[in-house]
Amino acid sequence: MKLLNEGSPAKLVKAVFVFLFSGLILLFYLVFYGFLAALFTFTMWVMLQTLSSDIPKYRDRISSPGLMISPKPDTALEFYFNKSDAQSYAEYVSTLRKFLESYDDSKQSQNINCTPGRIFDQNDVAVKKACRFNLSELGQCSGKEDKTFGYSKGTPCVLVKMNRIIGLKPEGEPRIHCTSKEEGMVEINYFPPEGLIDLMYFPYYGKSLHAHYLQPLVAVQLAINSNSTKEEIAIECKILGSPNLKNEDDRDKFLGRIAFKVQMTE
Amino acid sequence: LLQKKSDVYSVEICGTKDLEKTDIGDEEEKYKDLKGNKKKKKAEDLKKEVELDDHKLSASELEEKYGTSINKGLSSARAAEILARDGPNALTPPKSTPEIVKFLKQMVGGFSILLWIGAVFSWISFGIQLAQGAESPFDNLYLGVVLALVVILTGIFAYYQEAKSTNIMASFSKMIPQQALVIRDAEKKELPADQLVVGDIVEIKGGDRIPADIRLIFTQGCKVDNSSLTGESEPQSRSCDFTHENPLETRNIAFYSTTCVEGTATGIVINTGDRTVIGRIASLTSGVGNEKTPIAIEIEHFVYLVAGVAISIGVLFFIISVSMRYKILDSIIFLIGIIVANVPEGLLATVTVALSLTAKRMAKKNCLVKNLEAVETLGSTSIICSDKTGTLTQNRMTVAHLWFDNQIYSADTSEDQTTQPFDQSSPSWTALSKIVTLCNRAEFRPGQENLPIMKRVVVGDASETALLKFAEVILGDVMSIRARNRKVAEIPFNSTNKFQLSIHETDDPNDKRFLLVMKGAPERILERCSTIMINGKEEPLDSEKAEAFQTAYMELGGLGERVLGFCHLYLPEDEFPDTYPFDTDSMNFPTSNLCFVGLLSMIDPPRSTVPDAVSKCRSAGIKVIMVTGDHPITAKAIAKSVGIISATSETVEDIAKRLNIPVEQVNRREATAAVVNGMELKDMSLQQLDEILCNHSEIVFARTSPQQKLIIVEGCQRQGAVVAVTGDGVNDSPALKKADIGIAMGIAGSDAAKNAADMVLLDDNFASIVTGVEEGRLIFDNLKKTIAYTLTKNIAELCPFLIYIIASIPMPIGTITILFIDLGTDIIPSVALAYEKAESDIMNRRPRNKRKDRLVNEQLAVYSYLQIGIMQSVGAFITYFTVYAEQGFLPSTLLGVRVDWENNAINDFEDSYGQEWTKHQRMYLQWTGYTAFFVSITIQQVADLIIRKTRRNSIFQQGLFRNKVIWVGIFSQIGIALILTYGLGHVTALNFMPLRFQYWFVAVPFAILIWVYDEIRKLLIRRYPGSWWDKNMYY
Repeated sequence: MKLLNEGSPAKLVKAVFVFLFSGLILLFYLVFYGFLAALFTFTMWVMLQTLSSDIPKYRDRISSPGLMISPKPDTALEFYFNKSDAQSYAEYVSTLRKFLESYDDSKQSQNINCTPGRIFDQNDVAVKKACRFNLSELGQCSGKEDKTFGYSKGTPCVLVKMNRIIGLKPEGEPRIHCTSKEEGMVEINYFPPEGLIDLMYFPYYGKSLHAHYLQPLVAVQLAINSNSTKEEIAIECKILGSPNLKNEDDRDKFLGRIAFKVQMTE
Repeated sequence: LLQKKSDVYSVEICGTKDLEKTDIGDEEEKYKDLKGNKKKKKAEDLKKEVELDDHKLSASELEEKYGTSINKGLSSARAAEILARDGPNALTPPKSTPEIVKFLKQMVGGFSILLWIGAVFSWISFGIQLAQGAESPFDNLYLGVVLALVVILTGIFAYYQEAKSTNIMASFSKMIPQQALVIRDAEKKELPADQLVVGDIVEIKGGDRIPADIRLIFTQGCKVDNSSLTGESEPQSRSCDFTHENPLETRNIAFYSTTCVEGTATGIVINTGDRTVIGRIASLTSGVGNEKTPIAIEIEHFVYLVAGVAISIGVLFFIISVSMRYKILDSIIFLIGIIVANVPEGLLATVTVALSLTAKRMAKKNCLVKNLEAVETLGSTSIICSDKTGTLTQNRMTVAHLWFDNQIYSADTSEDQTTQPFDQSSPSWTALSKIVTLCNRAEFRPGQENLPIMKRVVVGDASETALLKFAEVILGDVMSIRARNRKVAEIPFNSTNKFQLSIHETDDPNDKRFLLVMKGAPERILERCSTIMINGKEEPLDSEKAEAFQTAYMELGGLGERVLGFCHLYLPEDEFPDTYPFDTDSMNFPTSNLCFVGLLSMIDPPRSTVPDAVSKCRSAGIKVIMVTGDHPITAKAIAKSVGIISATSETVEDIAKRLNIPVEQVNRREATAAVVNGMELKDMSLQQLDEILCNHSEIVFARTSPQQKLIIVEGCQRQGAVVAVTGDGVNDSPALKKADIGIAMGIAGSDAAKNAADMVLLDDNFASIVTGVEEGRLIFDNLKKTIAYTLTKNIAELCPFLIYIIASIPMPIGTITILFIDLGTDIIPSVALAYEKAESDIMNRRPRNKRKDRLVNEQLAVYSYLQIGIMQSVGAFITYFTVYAEQGFLPSTLLGVRVDWENNAINDFEDSYGQEWTKHQRMYLQWTGYTAFFVSITIQQVADLIIRKTRRNSIFQQGLFRNKVIWVGIFSQIGIALILTYGLGHVTALNFMPLRFQYWFVAVPFAILIWVYDEIRKLLIRRYPGSWWDKNMYY
């Protein structure tokens, strides 16, 4: 409020000065604002007491998950790199490496192997287990064989992930499918094959209950035609095969889909 | 007082300084200054008395002066020459501001500039964002359009209100006569009146409007109605004789725009167009600057205050946000938000509506308000300069006192008298009543038997009418009494005899004597008497009885009353038998040695409601000054009887008389009352006038001219007073215009007066002004409440922006949402406060001090902004944090997230529970937050509305349900909020989202807290008046 006072016109400033010099008014506002601050704190505390620490009260604003990719270029989802210049894609590689750190086998020692193809319901279990996601499923994009994730070979990898939403149980056989507007410029490979997302990774039980949860990933490898270099290739990835995952929202361009551009030079 | 005087002097000093400067200044400046001085001089000239000497000249001198001939008139060629020189005989219409300029003025007045700036910034940022290819640049385009629309719509509204007030000159031009009968080239011609030139010979007959100022050279029974010029309602006879120094009083001049009632006349045109007396008054009226109304000054002050707050906070936070490394574009968008949050967009329209509601209410009470702002002016009025005739008085002569049997009797002078209570048993009264009845030529117009006597129309002059009605009230059917006492001879009143006489047969069949009755000026009547009737007996008129007569005559005269003497004589039967041929020319009957019967005195009595109204004004701290053209004695008497001069106060002359010392020796400060003659006023300096206005609390100005009225008004205004002036004649219009509020009379008032005035009293009754004062004071109080109500939520709208900038939380409320509060939910409730009843007797306090008692004072701003406003913000923020927390974003995660939150590329924004949100999902949540914030402000504004019902009293004293409109306001407020939230929740541009029902109640505890806190505040104010709390918390 001090700021407000300073910004007031001459008349109010004068009034405020008079107030400041008469200690009583200062005391009054001290008490008044002190009371309000206490009341605010108290009310907030009461409100927070009504909340569960495990799961938000309402989840109606995020009924369907969005898609996101890694690495995520700084400039709006556009990849520019020179396959012969390691420096030009160093950031993408390091981002991927960092992103996959939590998927390292050593970090997954507590995670269990779940039954593929089935929703892994743990509602009755107090301690929720996380399913193991083997990096090897990402094949050439796992970073194990090719430390540059294909960027040096002109086959860059992009990881597609689906936003975590507590309690979301996809139906059917969800998979990521990407298309390029410019036909014939790029060949798209998926890891795991066909871009399948296994149902065993769902549902998610929230940060506090499901501490070691790892969301399933789909790696998209773009084999760019050698004659299509220097051209901007627009790629759109969508989640398909699941009736309860939206991918056609008019307003939300990231709901169940994501579009990005790749331009590679030699 | 000293201070004020020095002000006057300093103005003069500055004036000479300017002059000195001109000498050394360059040519251009000189020219400018000369022009300025010229203008000033012209205005001063106009204020002086009309100077004319044509009425003193003889016909031949006039012929010579104007180069004309009375018989032949001007030649057409000469006339054309003069017409080319002087211009047409019409009043120049004032330069009017083009409508488009007026309209544009509305577009940039008040808060409009700020909003335009906001709109332009919006479009600029839209342009930049569009160029940058941002995702949703259209938000800013919409915002700019909405802001522009707000300005344009409020501008149109204000323009419409202003356009309603009418043009003064319109009525002046309506008065121009169409045709005039002129002698030119020795022929009589009908000419359009605007072709008249000075020197033309014009013929007028009854019913014509006088086409120009005319010096009469031939008249036949000509009478003119000067009421439109002087306000005198009685037709005045016109002759060729020079009867008075003052051209306005002399009989041989007829004035432009007045009407010839009867007779015919011929005269020379001496002035045309703007140079006529009426033309000069017209130009004086349009030359008199329209003073800004007090409420306009207050609103301006308020606008400056709020705009000052808006701009300084806006600029301050612009600097802060730039230094916090926000992008300039973002900082500009913040600036727009801060401006929009700070400006109460709907308030000025609300004020207009509130004023027009009061205007309507006043119209019901016979006060028709022409200029809306004048509604409040009457409430701030500290001096009322009132006319006497018609406003304070009934505007008709009425018998007030009688003197017979050596005793003065008072008569009832009220408007609806049906009987007279004085002792009517004396035989002297019987004799007197007979004279009153018989010696009277006035008659009722037939066919009015069902009307009350006082309302019947009478043919006859004012005094005779008074006597006729007086007799009718006491004796009943006067006409039949006259029929029974057949009139055999009569000498009507004329100015040389100064008496009126008639001879009648008596209705007593046994008495064959004729009765001679006479009335007239008392001293003339007494001269003709040798006896006087005491208790029905004729007694010789000795010096002692003559002395008694003198005392009574002086006393009644001293009351300002018109006194008439009555006498009679029974003619001896032997000398004047049945068949006696009475001849009024040779007067073959006695006209002396008559028997004096009594005196009757008449006055135009005060309206019965006026004394009460004057005393109400007095307790309301309003000084009532009477300004009249009447004789000082009459004026003083009326002033005393209505209480303008109270019973105990004395004038300097009274004190001198009481102490028996010369007037010069009296200490002027001792006299509380003063009666100032127009003649004295003429020679007074402004300082002397100021002294009179300052030193005397009860003042009567008598024998004043219209120009002097203007001087008096200006004098009052120099004292810092808000002056109300009443008037009815054309001559009053400059003073009406000059006054802070001009009040014209609806019945007696001329069109010009009505046009110059801000208000019209439909019943011509002074008491209606008091109602107006009450309404005016009430609306001032209520506007305070309205503004306090409106300003409060500005803080709740502003805080989100400030905290958004400082703490980088997601935006709590959108700019468009703010507009929906300011122009949606808040409008009806703020108008509803105009219907609030007064908290205490507003007529028992002094008028507000223009300089000290502001509409928006520090206390109001501080209490609204820093206390209730902050409480509202806290309540709204609680709701905001609740909405976010229940969706997964705990308060702690919200701090500092702004950049990522608003980043379109981040579509996996993690909440407190590990869930990930796309940008669009976050935006929906943000809009839900807007809606929640909006709903919370609305809910707390309900509490704010209730607490603003009173400023001092408890709501329970005032009555929670007495003002039903408040409840309409509350329901409309909640209704609009419901529609916006659930009905329009899917229109993207509006940023409203359907809200969970429980969020409506999050702020309810804070609303209750606001109410409770305000009750405590009011309780302490009532408990400890004058205390620190009272001084700081009462607005």
